[in-house]
Amino acid sequence: MRGHAHLISAYVAGSSWLHRTPLLLKFLLLAGTGVVVLALPGLLPRALVLAAVVVIHLAARLPAVRLLQPIRSMWLFLLVVLAYRWWADSAAGAAGVVAGLLACIYAANLLTATTEVQRLLDGLVAAVTPLRRFGADPERFALTIGLMLRSIPFLLGSLHDVRDAARARGLGASPRAVVQPVLIGAVAYARQTGDALAARGLGEKAAD
Amino acid sequence: MIRFRNVQVAGETEAGTRPILTVPDLALSEDRISVIGANGSGKSTLLKLINGLALPDTGTVDVDGLDTTAQGAAVRRRVAFVFTDPLSQLVMPTPLEDVELSLRRQYRNRTERRSAALDLLRDFGLEPLAGQSIYQLSGGERQLAALASVLAVNPSVLVLDEPSTLLDLRNTMLLRRRLASLPQQLITATHDLDLAQDSVRTLVVDNGQVVYDGEPAAAVSFYRELAAHVAGSS
Repeated sequence: MRGHAHLISAYVAGSSWLHRTPLLLKFLLLAGTGVVVLALPGLLPRALVLAAVVVIHLAARLPAVRLLQPIRSMWLFLLVVLAYRWWADSAAGAAGVVAGLLACIYAANLLTATTEVQRLLDGLVAAVTPLRRFGADPERFALTIGLMLRSIPFLLGSLHDVRDAARARGLGASPRAVVQPVLIGAVAYARQTGDALAARGLGEKAAD
Repeated sequence: MIRFRNVQVAGETEAGTRPILTVPDLALSEDRISVIGANGSGKSTLLKLINGLALPDTGTVDVDGLDTTAQGAAVRRRVAFVFTDPLSQLVMPTPLEDVELSLRRQYRNRTERRSAALDLLRDFGLEPLAGQSIYQLSGGERQLAALASVLAVNPSVLVLDEPSTLLDLRNTMLLRRRLASLPQQLITATHDLDLAQDSVRTLVVDNGQVVYDGEPAAAVSFYRELAAHVAGSS
């Protein structure tokens, strides 16, 4: 399976200032990006947010090539959004929407590329711990989110593989030839992951 | 002690539902037990019943008095399962993160957790590979990483489903040496008849039934004759 088909980057080992930044601040950066993008429609503010996120990415010495990954994975989706918004609104409005989407994805990348999965899970456990009194199990919650993050690259890689296989048989234009195997693969992956956790007794209720 | 009582597991076939495994009564207490048999004979189902990855349609399986159906979570904390393909077992990108995942409930503190994970990987000779992608490891290294991840949860019983099938001779020998040193009760299904004889008791499973149960060398001879007979009559 293709390992490079990542929308959300895997962790990049390093010791940059962003790697050392507390998790809460990185999360606030991500949330803040989303809030600003939603609150300030229009090309200029969103382009500025996008530029700021790109500068942070480069200043954290993350590989510049990683900025291209979401575009490679999502170019068709971005193109459709751009065309629709251009038709429904204006060229500047369409560019603003795409800039906002990319800014949010790059901000999410900053978090996951500079935070180890275990540290991310620890942060989630700490955030959910106050809900324990309402019956929440922080470890199970964190495990669920962690597995969700792990499954995104798998599913994207699976989509690329299936699309390549369909093209090789001259079925590239058939959505059925792509969607069906990806769905079956996703279900198999979910079952396999469930079995892998059960094999170690992980993900069970703490009190069970 | 693992106990099977009147167990039957049914499976769907083209001809309808039929039993794929029947175990009237079986007690497993020895610390090294192997299970041999042809593909599709029911070995894997027998193993999966022990930690609740499969449940009996009738009868009961219990581990130290805990019923695998009613107390599945408690059973799975005692009984860990090692798959044939380590890539099915490893859910995190690196051996270090995967072992850390297993250690999360035991160590709340990240520094202590990391240190314990590295200690365990060092025991398996995997410390230099701790941060590498699991896809960059050799088959043997992956199997050892999967074993380390499973052992990190401190199980009292380890069930292994054909652990050497994907390994070359050198890695199989490495795995056998590693398994021999473990304090846990080991129940291993295998096609490797040398590995099968690293036990004190061997079950031969054929056509969904335990057809021989005894000393490993005798069980292997029985299995060879059975396989020769089946091959000769087909």
